Amino acid sequence: MFEVRFHGRGGQGAVMAAQALASAAFREDKYAVAFPFFGAERRGAPVLAFARVHDTKIYEKTQVYTPDYVVVLDDKLPQLVDVTAGLKEGGMVILNTREQPDEVELPTAVRCGAVDATGVALEVFGQPITNSAILGAFAKATGELSIEAVEQGIRDIFGPRIGEKKAEKNAEAARVAYERTEAGTCKAGKALDASKKWLPDVHDQPMGLATRKTETEAGLVGIGSFCENKTGSWRTFKPEYDADKCIMCQQCWFYCPDAAIKRNDERSLVSWDFDYCKGCGICASVCPVDAIKMERE
Amino acid sequence: MVKRVVTGNYAAAHGAKISRAEFVAAYPITPQTFIVEHISEFVNDGEMDCDFVRMESEHSAMSAMVSAAATGVRTFTATASQGLALMHEILFIGAAIRLPLVMPVVNRTVAAPIGIWAEYNDTMPQRDTGWMQVYVEDNQEVLDMVLQAYRIAENRDVLLPMMVNLDAFILSHTVEPVDLYGYEEADKFLPKYEPHVHLLPEDPMAIGTFTPPEYIQELRYQTDAAMEASKKVIGEVNKEFADLFGRDYGGLIEEYRTDDAEVVLVTLGTVTSTARKVVDDLREEGKAVGLVKLRFFRPYPTDELRAIADRVKAVGIYDRSIAFNNGGPSFIEAKSALYGYTIPIVNFLAGIGGRDVFYSDVKLMFETLLEAASKGEAEKDVIWMSTRGVDA
Repeated sequence: MFEVRFHGRGGQGAVMAAQALASAAFREDKYAVAFPFFGAERRGAPVLAFARVHDTKIYEKTQVYTPDYVVVLDDKLPQLVDVTAGLKEGGMVILNTREQPDEVELPTAVRCGAVDATGVALEVFGQPITNSAILGAFAKATGELSIEAVEQGIRDIFGPRIGEKKAEKNAEAARVAYERTEAGTCKAGKALDASKKWLPDVHDQPMGLATRKTETEAGLVGIGSFCENKTGSWRTFKPEYDADKCIMCQQCWFYCPDAAIKRNDERSLVSWDFDYCKGCGICASVCPVDAIKMERE
Repeated sequence: MVKRVVTGNYAAAHGAKISRAEFVAAYPITPQTFIVEHISEFVNDGEMDCDFVRMESEHSAMSAMVSAAATGVRTFTATASQGLALMHEILFIGAAIRLPLVMPVVNRTVAAPIGIWAEYNDTMPQRDTGWMQVYVEDNQEVLDMVLQAYRIAENRDVLLPMMVNLDAFILSHTVEPVDLYGYEEADKFLPKYEPHVHLLPEDPMAIGTFTPPEYIQELRYQTDAAMEASKKVIGEVNKEFADLFGRDYGGLIEEYRTDDAEVVLVTLGTVTSTARKVVDDLREEGKAVGLVKLRFFRPYPTDELRAIADRVKAVGIYDRSIAFNNGGPSFIEAKSALYGYTIPIVNFLAGIGGRDVFYSDVKLMFETLLEAASKGEAEKDVIWMSTRGVDA
């Protein structure tokens, strides 16, 4: 059996990629399961998905903690999270990157497959959606699945959701990525701080979890904990503001779901708190005079 | 036969489709929403001939189910957690007026705290509503039990509604290969619904009217007798299904390697899969352990459990929810069923709130049972597994 962990951002299609991988394996007469991280999805936030492939029926029902392979859809994620965490001895990380495998820096030196999946996707269907291209890289770098099965798995899963024509384009992206994938060993770079979790025992956990602002070894919890949890890191698009066009209607301030837009003292011009702006684009969408444009960061 | 990798939610929706449900009341709640969304797609695409009605709450959805079923049609809905809690009042009505409603419940924590993961504190408190309850282990079983649920519920000796309970995310959102057989195969197993009640202007009936004490006790007796009678029907339907489709789920329970077992663990839901692996490995080591998959919680397999208790030295009961101060609901039922036995009966609480239940957790359950069997008594009746600050 091999186990795979996918790293992506909410909305990038990591779950569909995991499902297509499972369907591809099933096409090769394997038993396969795929599932999202058991949690709430948030567009732009780092998310996980998992897959398991085996010759016979799979009875494991937990999430994947020690993957054989890690697939990373978003090129910025390795700077935010340790994608090698829990990787089995001899395991491999498949990355969306413009770098060669031996140029890539991860917390530890591990086997690495590399492809510019964003470039392939833009070239084949004009959108920076990498969940199909990266599967081609998986097939090439790991040798676990044939590219034909991966293409078929993509048709199986993408077809019913986005239509057969677009699914075919995604299968093509996988094929192109397959041909461009390089394998090697990455460099050991700087270690990322392991994220700590507040895990009080039954004696310390507040009754009913009614929690005051509390300093813990994992940081601040309770009210105000978002002082440290800077959700702006989820952002891939950034609002660009043209003060000359602004008519000071403050619609953006009113609609921002994160209260990340601030009205300045004179209660007129607005500014953004980029520690918390997730780049959702609602401000740009509600602006009646196009004074806000979303630009890729 | 079309085998595809699909989610448990898709399997449930496909089950409703090939069962030819004619009325679907939909109200969304995570992690169930995809079930009714898939059905709305089937209806939109002309694959399913049914009235699909979006309701304004789960209370209304179950009310609509009862009303629609009373006109004599096959009905379907799905819910989870708070949604099931909101249906609670109407669950009694569907059962008492003997409507064969079928509803998957994607087991999810009932708030507070707000959680979306697997816990059985949504379905367990519905024990006394008169609904049958089956807990399933994989996505194929989700589909197969939707079909079987109609056969069992619509049987004239039963005529009680049934919940098909599947674990949040672990099944609802996980794809795995499922044999998605179609109308043709389903029709051979599940005949057209012949209702025993119908609200028809040309042939009027009184259903669910104001009823004085002269009648209610007899009505409760009938419901109790029907729940008891459902045991035989469940076995027959399981056998007929196995003959047609080649999958035998065992009926009320499934015994796994219980021959010559000294200890057995009674599981519910997906933890059963993990326990199968642990049993296989412990058997390799020569340990006499076995597994009982408790499929039906209502009706409760009292006789089957007593027959097993006759030949083992300790029984473990797994629970994914807690009946405060008295162990888990499955434990309480087992103790009641095994009244008079002197062997140790130990309750293991794990996976509450959707925490993963690991191989090591289940292994520890079996080791605890083996120790209790050798000593003839258990150190503790109720054991909280992997709970911070609490000794297991």
